[in-house]
Amino acid sequence: MDILTQTQQYLAFAWWLALCLSVLIYVALDGADLGAGIFSLFVRDEDERGAIMSAMAGTWDANETWLMVAGGILFGTFPFIYGSTFSYLLVPLALALWGIMSRAIALEFRHLADGRHKAVADLAFGLGSLVTTFFGAMAIGAVLQGFALTNTPGEVPTYVGGAFSFITPFSIWVGVASVVAVLMGGLLFVRARFEHGEAIRVQAARWTNPLFFLALAAVSITLIWTGTIFPWAHARWFGSSTWIFGLLLIATLFCVFKSRRASQKDHDLAAVLWFDATAVVMGVALMATMYPWIVPNTWTIYSGASPSISLVTFTLTMGGFIPVIIAYNVYQIWVFRDRVSKFAAYSHH
Amino acid sequence: MSSENDLSNLLPRLDFAWITTLHIVYPPLTIGLAVILFYAEWRWMRTNDEKWYRLCRFFERLFIVNFGAGVATGVTMEMAFGILYGRFSQAAGPFFGQVLGYETITAFMYEAGFLGLMVFGWGKIGKRMHLFATFNVALASCLSVFWILDANSWMQSPNGVVFRNGYFQVTNWVAAILNPNFFTAFPHMLIACFELSVCFVAAVSAWYLLKQRHVELFQRALKYSVGALLVIAPVQIYLGDAVGQDVGKLQPASLAAMEGHYHTTLPDGQSNTGWHILAWPNSGGDGNAWAITIPHALSVIETHTWNAPVTGLDDIPAQDRPPVAIPFYSFRVMAGIGGFLLLVALWGTWLAATGRLSVRSVASNKWFLRAVVLSGFLPYIAVWTGWWTREIGRQPWLVYGMMRTSEGVSHMSVFEGVFWLLGFVVFELAVLTGSFYYLCVIVKRGPDLTRPLPGEEHEPTEVEAEALLRRTATPAAPQLV
Repeated sequence: MDILTQTQQYLAFAWWLALCLSVLIYVALDGADLGAGIFSLFVRDEDERGAIMSAMAGTWDANETWLMVAGGILFGTFPFIYGSTFSYLLVPLALALWGIMSRAIALEFRHLADGRHKAVADLAFGLGSLVTTFFGAMAIGAVLQGFALTNTPGEVPTYVGGAFSFITPFSIWVGVASVVAVLMGGLLFVRARFEHGEAIRVQAARWTNPLFFLALAAVSITLIWTGTIFPWAHARWFGSSTWIFGLLLIATLFCVFKSRRASQKDHDLAAVLWFDATAVVMGVALMATMYPWIVPNTWTIYSGASPSISLVTFTLTMGGFIPVIIAYNVYQIWVFRDRVSKFAAYSHH
Repeated sequence: MSSENDLSNLLPRLDFAWITTLHIVYPPLTIGLAVILFYAEWRWMRTNDEKWYRLCRFFERLFIVNFGAGVATGVTMEMAFGILYGRFSQAAGPFFGQVLGYETITAFMYEAGFLGLMVFGWGKIGKRMHLFATFNVALASCLSVFWILDANSWMQSPNGVVFRNGYFQVTNWVAAILNPNFFTAFPHMLIACFELSVCFVAAVSAWYLLKQRHVELFQRALKYSVGALLVIAPVQIYLGDAVGQDVGKLQPASLAAMEGHYHTTLPDGQSNTGWHILAWPNSGGDGNAWAITIPHALSVIETHTWNAPVTGLDDIPAQDRPPVAIPFYSFRVMAGIGGFLLLVALWGTWLAATGRLSVRSVASNKWFLRAVVLSGFLPYIAVWTGWWTREIGRQPWLVYGMMRTSEGVSHMSVFEGVFWLLGFVVFELAVLTGSFYYLCVIVKRGPDLTRPLPGEEHEPTEVEAEALLRRTATPAAPQLV
């Protein structure tokens, strides 16, 4: 449905950048929270699990709002994509949403709970993080595969293909690989948020080494698999702009190397930042690979965009609100930057 | 059209109705309580009266539990439009999705950002900065009512769009945003949030007064709540009447369903002006099986005249008629609660005027306090029934007069519909019982009266606060559970 004016095409492109930015910020910020949550499944001491939650108490909901922003942009600017893709993804999104709900309940209520309820909250937190990561990533894998649309004149093309077409070996693998990569991010987050010498930090440090190689393998397999089964990826990577992707690969490896070195030297914040940089570079590489598709072989930026987008609405949002939001996000992270210790177990005061 | 009641339509409707009904429990309290917290904090800054600070911090703890539940259930809402109403989302997205996107960015994110500062910022940021954060939380939450009700009222009275090539193209943004129904629906919902929150504060306070705990503190909260309710309750009844007038003009079918009004004219040719207090539709769906009726009352209520005709369902084509039983009864429950709350406000005012709400004597008004505790629950039921009236009364339309519900739902199998519903029954109920249980735990523990005020001594660090909590909580634990 190429019905946009020239200006609207530029706007759709700009909105797409904003959408990708929100998703990337979400992955970088909440990915660490999710990873720490998965890690908490393997932490035996109850107070230590509580401390993991308290380490994200001040920021997790602000992090999650980036997911909301991505959803808002998708619905507002790319409604044709939003309406068809989400009905394609009913099952994995429902599961991810239940994970998000359990995690939220656990984070909100744990500090009020006692004894047995605390153990339930911890399990809900850990499993919720795991389920959200796995099915959220599986949904992204399913998006990369694309889906069939209806073709009825006078109607917007939509999805009618049933509940389970999202399940493929590739989408399952993306789920598994993401759990490993996110867990790696969670370990770095735990190391950065806890005092040196805390038992939980020691455990996270011990795990970092094997997880690093596991994550590296998982991501490499995903890349090779992507290049093998998707012609659009293969054509972009090995076409006329191979050098760009070569540079992006080098940048990725450089960030991985820096993150590794920083974590070996106990430069925890640097390790987290380089890890996030890796995610961002790979995200940008994925954007460059997929362009102009948002859902490969299904919707492009331009066929999926709302015909009612305008310069006024874009400017109001981007110029007026996003900078303000980013400013107080930064201020907030600054206010709550102190490291925590196990004894400051989750408390909401 | 027989397809209106097919399972393929009913399941997505039921799925969406369930998650919406279980989400609307939380935002009204977030919105109204944020304004109340701002008021209390501002009074504390102005008067330096410690009681305002203690009240503010106590109700803030309840606010946090409620807000968390709102977020937990709210993320689902944003995704659910695309999942359950995919074709509607595609068609209406150019307007509807954009408006919800504004809600996310200008209200939800705005609120969440300042909320972190409000909750965790005590003692870490300056008093004025903190008050500013609270103010922004209150403002942002009111903005969210604006956007949500704007999107919904556009579905009730779609304006400023044309339906072409399978989607709504916006031709006039101002007309679409300022659609006719918005002007009554937005204030009605905003005031509903205030009314619910004032009743909530009053009910919690009344519970303490019944238990003779912290009487001085909660006598003040109760007194101010009753005063606020005395203003809010009549305003809400007035606004409710305005919404009714509006529905009569914009959606006569919905009004006729709400009133169980089947015939515009009686067999003798006179206008049918009877208002049914209670009724039940007959099996043919073309009249009431029985009804208790007051003559002329319908014309008086809906047109503010003695005899003017009111459109009955027989003037609406059969395929465009909404169901009757639910709108009819849910409307009556909502309106009845609105009236009851006004009576409670008048009762409280009379007690106050005769000096019986003073610190010394307030706790002896047992029956009044019990009625106030009950009034803490009633607005929730009013919000539910009000929304059911509004959404079911609009059926079979999704976007009134332009898009039918059957044209907007996703293509879902029965499995998907049931899978969604069962899962969300479990998780939404977990959130509901969890939040109610922990609200009760906080109320039973009572306000913290020992923590030093910010600025006087240092705010305890997290470690000290936790230690303090453990010391005080341990002996009390048996009575808590």
